[in-house]
Amino acid sequence: MDDREPEVVFKKETVGKLLSLSFRDEKTKVSGDAVLLMAEMLKIFVQEAARRAAKQADAEDSDTVDIDHFEKILPQLLLDF
Amino acid sequence: MSDEFSHSQRLKAAIHFTVARFCEEVGQDCQKKYSKLAIAAISETTFKQCDIFARDLEAFARHAKRTTVNVEDVKLAARRSTSLANYISEKSEELTSITKEQKGRRKKQTGKRTSGGSLPEAAATGADSSMGDDQDALA
Repeated sequence: MDDREPEVVFKKETVGKLLSLSFRDEKTKVSGDAVLLMAEMLKIFVQEAARRAAKQADAEDSDTVDIDHFEKILPQLLLDF
Repeated sequence: MSDEFSHSQRLKAAIHFTVARFCEEVGQDCQKKYSKLAIAAISETTFKQCDIFARDLEAFARHAKRTTVNVEDVKLAARRSTSLANYISEKSEELTSITKEQKGRRKKQTGKRTSGGSLPEAAATGADSSMGDDQDALA
């Protein structure tokens, strides 16, 4: 089971730096567990975006998911997060 | 200023890379291919969404009179959708139990190290190298 290619995840470092980049106050810090949880949340966000876009492409009988499929699901996606 | 610019560009590139891998994974699952533009759009959206999350988290932490964002703030950021909130609290419990376990093991090991001779120490490091965190346990 664990011999297969590793699960796709956002790196802890990347998420940590990304968060601190957007903080207005440079005194704000993030706990380690919070960073891991944020990585999980971003993973869900991307997977949800990809799946909804794929569903939209399916509804339009297209084999490739194009930007217009993603554009159509974008408003609802942003409302759900 | 230009330094900051390239820094965010590199983070964007990192996100783009991971998003592309996620799309590949999902694409295999539902027999679809993702166009480059679609992947770029998803990455850009993720980057912007992360910015929104970060500002929310900072505001939540400040509201609780803290300067460190913790797990509770992340749970609050996931409140808008019930299933997401449930999933995130589940994950956070998992995370805290893992951290507790690691801390307990670390404590046990330092105890062994101070009380035992050279033999138990060697046994302890040998057993722990499979877990991959012997380095920081010994540090």
